[in-house]
Order: sequence, then C-alpha cells, then structure tokens
Amino acid sequence: MTEDDKGMTDRSVERPRGRTLVDGPAAPVVVAPGTLPVGRASGLPLREEGPAKLTGEALYADDLVFPGAWYGATVRSTQARARLLGIDRDETFAWDRVVVVTADDIPGENVVSLIDDDQPILVPVGGEIRHHAEPLALIAAPDRATLAEATTRLRVRTEALPPVLDPLAATEIISEHDIVVGDVEAGFAAAAVVVEGTYHTGHQEQLYIEPQAMIAVPEPDGGVTVHGSLQCPFYVLAALARGLGEPVERVRVVQAVTGGGFGGKEEYPSMVALHAALLALAAHRPVRMIYGRHEDLAATTKRHPSIAHHRSAFTADGTLLAQDIDLILDGGAYATLTSVVLSRATLHAGGPYRCPNVRIRSRAVRTNTPPNGAFRGFGAPQAHFGAELQMSKAAEALGLSPAEVRRRNAYRIGDTTPTGQVLRPSVAAETVLARAVEASGFEAVRTRTAEARARASATAPDPGDPVRTGPVRVAEGVGLALAWHGAGFTGTGEVKLASVAALELGEDGRVRVLAGSTEIGQGSRTVFRTLVAEALGVELDVIDVAPVDTAIVPDSGPTVASRTTMVVGGLLVRAAGELRRLVEERNGGRPFARVRVEDARRHGPTRVDRRFEAYPGVHFDDEAYRGDAYPTYGWAAAVADVAVDLDTFEVDVRSVTAVDDAGRVVHPVLAEGQVEGGTLQAVGYATIEEIKVEDGRYRNDRLATCLIPTSLDAPRITAIMVEAPFSGEPHGAKGLGELPMDVAAPAVVAAIHDAVGIWVDRIPATPERILEQLLGAAGDGLDAPAEADAEARP
Amino acid sequence: MTVVRFLLNGEPVEVDVPGMRRLLDVLREDLGMTGTKEGCGEGECGACTVIVDSGPVVSCLVPVCQVDGHTVRTVEGLAQADGSGPLVDDAGRPMLAPLQRAFLELGAAQCGICTPGMLMAAAAYLDVGGGPDEAAIRTAIAGNLCRCTGYTKIVEAIAAAAVGRHVGASEAAAPAPGRRATAPSPPPAAEAGAASAEGAAAPTALAEPPVASPRTLAEAYDLLGGGGTWRPVAGATDLLVELDAGGEPPEQVLDLWRLRELRGISLEPRTLVIGALTTYSELQRSSLATEIVPALVEAAATVGAVQIQHRGTIGGNLATASPAGDMLPVLLALDAEVVLGGPRGERVVPMGDFHVGYRRTAREPDELILRVRVPIVPGREVRFRKVGTRKAQAISKVSVALAWRAGPGDDGAEVAWHGVRVALGSVAPVPIRAAAAEAVLEGSAPSAAVAERAALALADELAPIDDVRSTAGYRRTTAARVLHRLIRDAAGW
Repeated sequence: MTEDDKGMTDRSVERPRGRTLVDGPAAPVVVAPGTLPVGRASGLPLREEGPAKLTGEALYADDLVFPGAWYGATVRSTQARARLLGIDRDETFAWDRVVVVTADDIPGENVVSLIDDDQPILVPVGGEIRHHAEPLALIAAPDRATLAEATTRLRVRTEALPPVLDPLAATEIISEHDIVVGDVEAGFAAAAVVVEGTYHTGHQEQLYIEPQAMIAVPEPDGGVTVHGSLQCPFYVLAALARGLGEPVERVRVVQAVTGGGFGGKEEYPSMVALHAALLALAAHRPVRMIYGRHEDLAATTKRHPSIAHHRSAFTADGTLLAQDIDLILDGGAYATLTSVVLSRATLHAGGPYRCPNVRIRSRAVRTNTPPNGAFRGFGAPQAHFGAELQMSKAAEALGLSPAEVRRRNAYRIGDTTPTGQVLRPSVAAETVLARAVEASGFEAVRTRTAEARARASATAPDPGDPVRTGPVRVAEGVGLALAWHGAGFTGTGEVKLASVAALELGEDGRVRVLAGSTEIGQGSRTVFRTLVAEALGVELDVIDVAPVDTAIVPDSGPTVASRTTMVVGGLLVRAAGELRRLVEERNGGRPFARVRVEDARRHGPTRVDRRFEAYPGVHFDDEAYRGDAYPTYGWAAAVADVAVDLDTFEVDVRSVTAVDDAGRVVHPVLAEGQVEGGTLQAVGYATIEEIKVEDGRYRNDRLATCLIPTSLDAPRITAIMVEAPFSGEPHGAKGLGELPMDVAAPAVVAAIHDAVGIWVDRIPATPERILEQLLGAAGDGLDAPAEADAEARP
Repeated sequence: MTVVRFLLNGEPVEVDVPGMRRLLDVLREDLGMTGTKEGCGEGECGACTVIVDSGPVVSCLVPVCQVDGHTVRTVEGLAQADGSGPLVDDAGRPMLAPLQRAFLELGAAQCGICTPGMLMAAAAYLDVGGGPDEAAIRTAIAGNLCRCTGYTKIVEAIAAAAVGRHVGASEAAAPAPGRRATAPSPPPAAEAGAASAEGAAAPTALAEPPVASPRTLAEAYDLLGGGGTWRPVAGATDLLVELDAGGEPPEQVLDLWRLRELRGISLEPRTLVIGALTTYSELQRSSLATEIVPALVEAAATVGAVQIQHRGTIGGNLATASPAGDMLPVLLALDAEVVLGGPRGERVVPMGDFHVGYRRTAREPDELILRVRVPIVPGREVRFRKVGTRKAQAISKVSVALAWRAGPGDDGAEVAWHGVRVALGSVAPVPIRAAAAEAVLEGSAPSAAVAERAALALADELAPIDDVRSTAGYRRTTAARVLHRLIRDAAGW
C-alpha cells in the first residue's frame, strides 16, 4: 500500500452464505437450524418502507384510486418511418363518449423536454414518424371497453418512408468525440503483441417489474398534479410545464411507490406524464395512463446497442502501449440522453488501465428504432465489454494469467487518464482485483479447467462436430473482469445541476429529510435516515423522510448515475452537521440528541438547506473534453464460473464473485443487494437477454419471449464490499448501483472462452451464437436439405 | 354475470361479475385489495401469485368462476396465516409473519413490486413442508421474476423462515418495526384501498366472454349438443394469455374445471389412463405416473413454473396443440391414444393422428378431450430432453423423446433396440416422429456408429424454421446432438 492508500479499508462482509447454503442441486444439504444469519441485520436499520411493501399496503401508481378517473391509451405508429398524413375518426362511432388529443391540442410546445428538442409529445399531421410504436394520438374513456373500441375507430393515414436501421450506415450523428493522447502509431510500431477485435452488444430492456404508470389529476386552478412511477420528479415537472405551457408553480409531481427503474424511469416517465396530463386537462377529470407489459416493451427505451472496434498494443512483458478504439452507439430515433451516454461510454472505453498512447473515436447515430436511453451503467457496460475482452485476449496472447495482465496495467494513484485527469486517492483497482482473485480461488480454478480441457480434448470429438457428442457433457470455465465507474454526473454535470437537499427540525423535535431523490428499491430512504441519524447523533426513529412531492421537496437532481448516496447523501450529512452545530451552539453545547425537543419548542422549526458546490480541485473543460471527467471513480472486479453444455451450448453461470468499491458502505445489506441485483442483470445481458429487431420493430415484445433470468438461471453471487473513501464527501461514499453492471458480462464471456475455447464477441452469447461460431459460417455444419432450409437462411 | 363465492384470507366473500373475469381483477378492482400486483398479464412474472387451496397460482390466468367454492390467500392475509390473527397490533402497526420478517431483516424486498407474489409462492412452499434447501427454494420461486435482488437474499430469507419453523421459532406475528403512525401518507387526492363506484363497475382490460361451468360430463355434452360455438377450457392458462395478447375472444367458454370425471390417473389392464384435467403438478405427485411413465413426469416438471403446473393440464396441452407443447413428444414416443367424447359418443385417436396442422387437432367442435391412454409395454425405456430458452418459465427451442425396447438383434447375437420411437417438439408445425432416424435405430444395437447415423438421419429429415426463439440451424443440429447423447447415455459407451 502506498501512503495515500492508508485510508482504504477492505471491509469484506464475512458471508456465512457460501458455507451454509448448499453447493449445487446435485448435493442438497439441509442447513442446520440456527446457522443461517437470521437477524444478521439486527443492529442495522431495517428498510424504512419495507413493512408496507411486505404487507401489500404500499401503494404503487396502479393501486391509487381517484374517483371518477378515466382510462387513457396511446395510439402508436406501426411503421418504423413514415409521413403522417392524417388521423381520421370513424363517423359511426359516438366520439362524444371519449376525449381525443392530437398534436394540435397541445397547449405548450410539442416537445418532450430533455437535452435536445427533437422528440415530439405526439407526431403532428404532416410530420415524420421516426420509429415503430411512436405516439400519434391519445384517447381517454370512462371505461376500458369504450377505450378499446375507440382506439380501433381512429384511423391513421401515412406514407411510408425508407427507414435507417443499420447504425453503421446511419449518417445522422447525435454526438461524437475524438480523444487523442500520445503517439498511437508509434505505440503500435513498438508493440510485441497486438490484439484486435470488434465487439457487439445488443439492446437490453430494463424490465422493472412494474410497468410505466402515471395518473394525472386536473387542479381547480387549471394546473395539474401527476402521481406516478418515476425516478426524476423534476425532469417530469420541467417537461410538463413546457408541454402544457404552464408555469412550474401550477404543475406538481408526486412519486408513487415505484416498482423498479434501473434507468428505465429516468426520462420516459416525462412522456407518460405528458400524455396523462393532456388527456386529464381535456377530459376535466383524472386520467390513468397505466402501461401493460406489451406496450411497455414495445415502446419504451432500451440500453443502447454498441459496436466497438479495438486495437491494443502490448510489450512482451504485457505492458499496455497503445489503444485505438472506435465506438458506435445506436441512439434510436430521438436523442433522449444519448449524448451523455456516449460521453460516459467514451470516457470508460479504454477500461481501467494506464496507457500512454490512446485514440478513442466515438459517435452516436440516429436510426429508426424506438429511442434508446438510460439503463444502469449508462454506456459503461458497453465500453467495458470490448475493453475487458481485449485484456483477456491479450493475456492469452502474452501467455499471462488474465489477473496478471490486469494487475500490471490497472490504474494506480498518480496515473493519468486519457482526458488528462490525474487519479488521486481512492483508486482501488488492484484491491478489488486481488480480493476477487483470492475469494474465488481464480488461479486454482483456472488450472483445474485447463486440465479438464486438456483431458477432454484427448477423447472428445471436436466440440464443433455437427452431430457427435463426446464422453464429457459439460465444460467448465472461469473468467475475470475489472472495471472503473465514474462516480456521479459526467464532467460539469453536478455543478450545473446545483442540487439541493434539506433537513428540518420540526416543532415536535423530529427531523425530516427533504430530498427529491426517489426510492426505487435501492434503499435511498433508509440510507438517508442512517446517514442523518449518524451525523446528528440521534436514534434512527427520530428521522422521517418526506414524500417525494415537488410541492414539498427541493430539487436534489435526478435519481441516476449512482449519485444519490454520494452526492445527495453528502448534502444531507453536511446539512446535518450544520443543523447540529446551530442547535448545540444555542443550547450551551449540549448534545443535539438531548436538546432537540426542547430546542424545537423554544425556537420553532429549523430548516437547513444545502446546495451542491464544486469539489475543490476538480475541473473539467466541456469544450476541450479535458480534465477531471469525474470527481472520483468506483472500482469493481468479478470472477464468473460457467458450465457450458457441450450438446446444446447452453451456458449455466454457476457462481459470480463480485467485489465492489463503494467508497464507504453505509448499509451492508442494502449494498449487497445492489451488487447482487446488478450482477444478475449483467449475467442476463451476457447470456439470454436479447431484443430481436425486425424492420425497426421489437419482435419479442411480450414477457414470454423477452427473457430475464429466473431464480434457477441466477448464479450463486458472493458480494464483497471494499471501501476506498472519497475525500470530497464527508461520508466518503462514491456510488455503487452501477458498478456491478460493468464487470459480470465480460467475465462470463471470458469464462465461456475458458470452457470451449472460442471468443464470443457479441452478447448475448446465446447457444445459437456459440454453435454458429464453433461450426463455422455455414450455420450448423450440416448439408442443408436444399429446399427446406433455403428460405430460413439469410 | 356469475355469482362466485369463495373464502378470501379466511373470510367468505361473494362477487357477482363475469365468470371469465381474472381473479386478479376481482381482487384488485372489485374487492379493492391491491396488495396483489400485475406485472405482465400473461403468467410470466408471478407478481400476481396467490394461493388457491394449497397451490400457488398466477391470478392473472385464473378465471374467477374457477375459484367458486375454493379458498384464496393473498399477501393481505399472510400475517394471519391461520385466519385468526390480528392484522394490526394495538398501536395500529401492521403485523409481520415470520416469513415477512425474514424478508425484511435479510433484505429480500427492494422495490417491492414482486414481493407479494414472491411471498405467496414462498408461503405455498413452506406450507407443504418445504425446507431450507437452496435448489428446492429456487425451484419453488422460479415462476416469480425479480429484477432487483439477484434472488440471493430472497433464497436466504425463505431458507431462514424454513429453519425458524423447524426449530419451532415461528412466533406469532410480530409488529413491524420501524413504522410510525405518522409515516408518509398517500397522496392527498388519492383514496387508497377501496375501489370507487366507477372502479367496481368498470369492465377490465380483457374481453370477458360468457362462460358455462357444468358439473357433470352429461351437462357438458348437453351444452355442446345444443348448438353455438364453445371453447372448452381446463386451467385457462392458454386462453387468458391469448386474450391478453389481443386474440379474438371465443363466442362462449365451456369451463371444464369442475368435471371430476376427467380427473385422476388410473390403471387398466396394460394401460395407464390419465384424465384430461390432470394437472402437471398432479402428474408429478402421482406414484403411478412416476413409476410407469417417468419421462412424462419429467416433461411435466419442465412446463412453465409451479404456478402454471398447478393449473395447466395434459388435456389442455393436447388441445392447444402448440408445436412446443412439452408433453406431446413424450406422448408420441409412448404410442399414446387420445380419447375424445361428445354428444355423439366416444372415439379413440392415436397420438400420431391427433395433431393435424399448426395448432389444429382432430377434435370436432362438439367434442372434448376426455383422457389419454398410454399402453404399458414391458421393457420399454423412454428418455426426454427439453432445450428451452432458460431454465424455468421456458418454451422449448427443441425437445426430443426417445423410446425403445431392448431385445435380441436380428442375428440373435447381440442386444438390439426394437419399437424405437424418436419424437420431437418445436421443429415442425406439429410435434412429429422422425421416421428416418427411427429406421436407422430399429433392430440395431445402439453402437456409436449407429448413433451417429441416426443423428445424421435426423438432421437430414428435419426442416425447422427460424423464429423468435431460435434458429433453424440450431434446432436441427441440437436435435441431432441431443439424440446422439440420449443414445449414448442409454447404451453406456
């Protein structure tokens, strides 16, 4: 450890799990009573809203009842690109039974306000339909049967236009970057080993289990209140004000209990809220806009597909000399948050490795598929997939262990990133790597799988033999990946946001947290209470968290980018310090916990607001794209064990050891929950989660075909927390939620290589892709019966 | 409208609603009990899981007419498992059952939307004596999708609750900690928990065709003979998915669920008889089936997950006639027969003649599937392998069933296979038998050379298609490789 490392502690939470819960279905072992950590959490705060969620009392948007509410529906395009010529009403239908809203009826600007102003709330007649399932008109009706009938009586006339569906052929660029450091060609000229590859990642659906849902209620003053499932109340507020042409004072946004987000409820709820509000104002009554799963899958944002071409140069001893990276993101039809996603992807494109000569060219392009948007990781998982497979391939080419080549190149304190950022303390790449290697027994497993491979290859037919199976049915493999993840917003984002959070000591002596951050399952309410109670020196049950209602709470910025514990938590810890000092000073230095009730009685309510201030010494130049891209970084490593079925090439991810550095772990149980959940999403991304696009439409837009892992598909996950605190925040936290999403996918694909000897450069690594790669371009290695298969082949 | 009476969390309730209304909608909209959640409407996510009698079911796929006279338990009743406990303590705080408490303490609930369904699946598992075995717990909740937790802490919490029960630590419901009377209240404009007048009267999202629920086969035949077009349904797990997908609603539904004559598994001379209404769960629990047709039992365990296995039936699998129907290749390999009956009498159709085209069967509109007859053949072995899209809740990409009898070969010298059947699902518009592969195997010893020729013959005779689940090439190759493996494992080389 260096001097600067001293503040770092490795607080791995010792897990009885690996020993107590049994090892694989073949050998079920009953856990002896008392060995499971019942009450392990005792001493830790329990999830604040947990009891309500466990009893069915918690009210999600669709559980809210508004007397007299109508039901809303969205009429959508069935083409990827077209000119909208008209929307006609079937005259035999009694249209006075319903309300219909088209673009002409929008009182404000016809734009879903976000970064660019390119996405309309509804496509106007004469305008261009840019993707399948794009909203064209809205209908509300007193009951669902009338609503269903009315939607079939609205006829849309269009003129088809040729869609752009291939991101490589797309010419319209949403955003682009070009970073050059050092002399890349000189680096390649001096290389002993050059590794080259092209990596594809597909769309990924967030698949929160609660679909998008908003209910809009007209207010007597002509304004509107929306209640719904969302991550970012003030994004919705701004979008409503602009689209409705109302001042923000007449618009109110209230978060209902929210059934998951993962980024999918970052920007899309603005669209749903606008639609509900337009209908409510037209119908003069509450309107419920509750998406079904099919509509949600067909229309809402997904993770951006990516194509990355990498060339990496190494010396003979495995030192990284040069990286040349081309990265393309498919933005879909509208810009949404694409430019920011591209920025994060670009900044993470080289992976967590020092390199003197770097070129990163990146662009995000517009195509005619539904727009892609935020999803846990926000560009970094795509970037790490290619970067980490490059490292694993380099290890193979250099004859080094995958752990060793990473250890030799991983960032250390004092290293400089491609934007010229000098990394200060809180660099834990080597620590997370070492812990993952050690806890998983990586090198021993790797030796074992290599021996098994050698034994199997002596007796088995070529794994690519079309019909013959071998004596061994399952091949095991192990893989490793390492990642970094910029904490909080990219570049100057936090400074521009200038988030606010507040604490109020109420008249009853209780303390209330006022923050616009949303609880979406990650545990933010519990984390806030824990941090504030600790800073005030009071018991947890003295702290309340205000409901997220824009009429009550300040704008604490969006609940995204793993920034809630770090940034908003930091504001609350500072506010708590100030509140405590203020109260203790005016009470003769007696502790806050003792005097809070008396102080409140004497002085009335006391409120302390804190606004975000730039971290000292952190500067980024947006124009030059140089400087401190993030105030600090989190670090993650994962080791995946897989078993590949050699008959069917199904991949069973058996276990993942995930090591994540969150700066400081505020609540171990909640933190592990983030790591376990993020790890499984990444395992799904690597193996079975795929969106199949045909003519710009998602083919698998139902839950029977759009798959995520079940409990039987999920690996045993061991979460190990590491703490390398961030000095810019009083509590040292630097975000956690997205870290696990960056590492498990490349670890799984490296493990597949270890098992069957091929690099699957395209995820998900489906059995079909593995088979195709093993058997060659012919597809199945068999002579096709000529007539039968002819049309089924590309 | 149909009057339906059932016990809900121990209390008798009566509703007068369309009989085909989903139990989920009756709970949420007619009874205002919103603890049960909807995540997909097609039985895939499990968020709407409730317990009917003792089995977990997805309430989005249960027509309410089928719970008439039954008991239903929802998350709202979990803390008073015996129906007598209080819902709140003296201070008005909600009570938590030990299972709920384990979820809370071990961090098994995050966003909470899957939690009510997950709890009910877990409660059903614990109710029948489920223990803290990880694999068993994972199987019990495989029909409940969670996107937050990675399932780790859910499995731990269920195991902890199971252990707690085993040591008799299952204390009475304990007050939920950390809750105060002043916890944030619901948005002021909202009225929670009670459906509005409009809400109660509103038709729900799905079409609710008229339904008749006969109690005897004779009544059912009278209805079928009386004209009109009837859509017979058993567990309704296919019909309600079709309606959710916007399928054309049937003119009228004939609900077979109460026809006891169509339930049960029995033995006749040299024949196993399986009633059409036998569910996949009943098949798995049947000692007769397990002993005589283990491959069929194995196939039943691969259908959906536990919720679907509690409602889906062998008759329904035959009638829906999906090329991916999991039972169908095994029934083909077993030389099973389908017994049809109606007002004009009964008739027997061999499995091979039953599926006449894509999702079409030999059943006439006035006929019902009564039962399946499986000949008991001494010495017959059957093997089955399903290759699905994932490990549970999976529709097959390809499935293979192989049957044979070992006996002396043609030259009398060595052991050879006779009566060989190779049957496949998901590779053609209907479940099929592979004549060429069978011909290679018939009368031959299952040597490596024969296995390779059979696998090549199979690959040659199959002409599957690309679809949303897989590719033609994968299906063809994998079918051949799986057949090769089944032969290899059976022959032991």
